[in-house]
Amino acid sequence: MFNLFNNTNIFIWIEKLINFINSIFFVLLLIALSFALIFSPPDYLQGDSVRIMYVHVPAAWIGLASFSCIALLSIFNFIFKIKNFTLITKSIAPIGLMFTCLAIVTGSIWGQPTWGTFWAWDARITSMVILALFYLMYIATHKLIVEREKANKISSIIACLGLINIPIIKYSVEWWNTLHQPASINITGTSTIHSSMLTPLLLMFFVLILYCALIFLMKYKTEIIRIKRKNLKRYD
Amino acid sequence: MISNLFLMNGYGIFVWSSFVLTFLACAIVYYKTRKTLKKYEKEFAKEIENLSVNQKKIVLEKSKVASKVFSTYNKTI
Repeated sequence: MFNLFNNTNIFIWIEKLINFINSIFFVLLLIALSFALIFSPPDYLQGDSVRIMYVHVPAAWIGLASFSCIALLSIFNFIFKIKNFTLITKSIAPIGLMFTCLAIVTGSIWGQPTWGTFWAWDARITSMVILALFYLMYIATHKLIVEREKANKISSIIACLGLINIPIIKYSVEWWNTLHQPASINITGTSTIHSSMLTPLLLMFFVLILYCALIFLMKYKTEIIRIKRKNLKRYD
Repeated sequence: MISNLFLMNGYGIFVWSSFVLTFLACAIVYYKTRKTLKKYEKEFAKEIENLSVNQKKIVLEKSKVASKVFSTYNKTI
């Protein structure tokens, strides 16, 4: 089973997956964009501005999921000391940061037509900004600290601390009075979003997840090559 | 119909700027990640190339990753 974590086996799988995703990505993207921009109906209150949801919500979900993933893998790494987990978290972090920033910016653009302002120090928005700061600290630790063991330890602590912010983001709309609307999609209960809007939302989410997988695999492949290059120096 | 798609009853500027920004950011990150990967592959292949014949043989036999990158690089040039 541990053979699965072998970098050589992973490398071969990565190549196959990158080719597969590249072959289907643009077709799926076109379908998702057609649904999001053409086929989905405007909202009865927000009109066509609701279409921003199709990039804003998946971006926020990916931002949150990526950080949760980083934090959980960091905890596992503390316990089981599996080197690959550090490579995985390092590869996920930039993707998570990008999508968190996109969620903040697209949310801000959506705020203007719906709330009448681009920015408010609302609980949901502020907690998302804090998440972006955690991402920045995590990435900066790996960039600035040369000693790898030390960098891993500090970044893991940052990830564990940042994990506290995840339920705060999730429940901020229930715990405080916020401009941000409560969640329309509920995994455990009933969702208040109509299927004509849920379909494009899930399609866009799927396409962006594929994009994340593509970037993650390329970054992970780069990390493996970097390690192999270091090993190669032993032959000099 | 096309003007409706662009104007979106006055919300076009907000909707299109959100989509353009998202996909522009995605395209830039994709381009940069791919460029870094290609750079690392190229440098790795060159380092293998610069090894002596015996060392190169040992490296390519021992490491599947090295042989894969090396063969891919040699195909592209």
